[in-house]
Amino acid sequence: MEHIWDFESVFTNWRLLLIGLGNTVLLAVVCLAIGLFLGLFIGAARYSKNRLLNVPASVFVEVFRNTPALVQIMWFFFAFPIISPFRIDSFTAATLGLSLNTAAFCSEIYRAGIQSIHRGQWEAAKALGMRYGEQMRRVILPQATRRMIPAFMNRAIELTKMTSLASVIAFGELVHQAKTISTIEFNPIETYTVVGLIFFVMIWPIAIGVRGLERRLSRHE
Amino acid sequence: MTELLRIEQLSKAFGALEVLKGIDLTVAKGETVVILGSSGSGKSTLLRCVNFMEIPTSGRIAIAGKPVGTERGRANGQIQVDYRESELIGIRATVGMVFQHFNLFPHMTAFGNVMEGPRTVLKLPRGECEARAETYLSKVGLADKMDSYPAHLSGGQQQRVAIARALAMEPQLMLFDEATSALDPELVGEVLQTIRSLADEGMTMLIVTHELGFAYSVASKVLFLSDGVILEQGAPDDVLVRPKQQRTRDFLRGHATYKLPDLAIT
Repeated sequence: MEHIWDFESVFTNWRLLLIGLGNTVLLAVVCLAIGLFLGLFIGAARYSKNRLLNVPASVFVEVFRNTPALVQIMWFFFAFPIISPFRIDSFTAATLGLSLNTAAFCSEIYRAGIQSIHRGQWEAAKALGMRYGEQMRRVILPQATRRMIPAFMNRAIELTKMTSLASVIAFGELVHQAKTISTIEFNPIETYTVVGLIFFVMIWPIAIGVRGLERRLSRHE
Repeated sequence: MTELLRIEQLSKAFGALEVLKGIDLTVAKGETVVILGSSGSGKSTLLRCVNFMEIPTSGRIAIAGKPVGTERGRANGQIQVDYRESELIGIRATVGMVFQHFNLFPHMTAFGNVMEGPRTVLKLPRGECEARAETYLSKVGLADKMDSYPAHLSGGQQQRVAIARALAMEPQLMLFDEATSALDPELVGEVLQTIRSLADEGMTMLIVTHELGFAYSVASKVLFLSDGVILEQGAPDDVLVRPKQQRTRDFLRGHATYKLPDLAIT
């Protein structure tokens, strides 16, 4: 059977796609921001010697890293409202699931980044008379963040792709919009092709950037 | 001669492993003390206790006549001292340390490395930090490498930057922990010369090294450490030329198995 490609029916719905794109970017940016911020504290808590901090932080990280993001999103949408007094819309549920998931991964990136710095760096800073905070701020973090940036960018890529999972709880991001368009126009082949291209155009430059950055960083060391 | 460092009954254990077992040592201002000993004898640990990178298990340390910490009394005949981190931070700022692997900050230029201590720790005005960085980099002969990153310097140059970084704090005491052990043989000389010039200027120094010839020529006092105790100490001629202990003799013999005839290096 020969398929007659009909992209026009996709493009006449460009408004829907644009809204979807906006929602995808919004969800990705919000979750990345929360994940980066929260991840720093979770990473620090995991690194802490205080069991009241490091045990819960470890449990959090393990749970979110070892369950599917799709299940996390569904759980926040369906189960969370039952066990809590809050009513949640699909954006909030998706944000909760994806930002906590991102926080779990980011906390590991922070931890690994800091642990990758050679002990001699801590020693040299300490021997100069620096306090712990100064050692961290002046010597460890500037080196560690450099190593973390490619990992964070990869995280951003993963997260952008994961936003599509929010379509299952009817959040109007790109894939959900695609579902709508293809139902109206009976053109799933064209619609999903276009949506795939949009994702690619959005993500590919970041991936190129990561590779360039990794090359530059490895040259410097 | 004024006394700069006094160590009494210093012991350090890591868990069940006793590394230092009652060290007594006094160092006068301007003295250069070289610490020798085979690996595991505790020489690095002794050095690291002096600037409290390691906290002694027992014993007392006084720097420039001022005892560090608060004495709590004795337990099993050992002097117990409580230390406050804020005091130790202050001590470290006045005692310079040079490491075997340089440990320069790779994200800063040579200039930045030397400026870092005065700026972050001493909180001196920027102009003064820069002046110090220039002074001390010139002193170690690297005025032309100020803008280089450590990755672009040779091992010998990196170690001289590390020395300048320690000197920029204008310490009252310098510690060298096998400062030339990680260097290619042809780069050892330039670092030793830098240390030598500091000795000539009257800097008080504790030096852990395996360079016996250097020890002989630069030391005012040589210690031989074995199994966490000072087995022998005295003038270079006494310890390095006429050692009394068999262990010291064995150690020296091990270091002088093969020698070039003098003509080869003139």
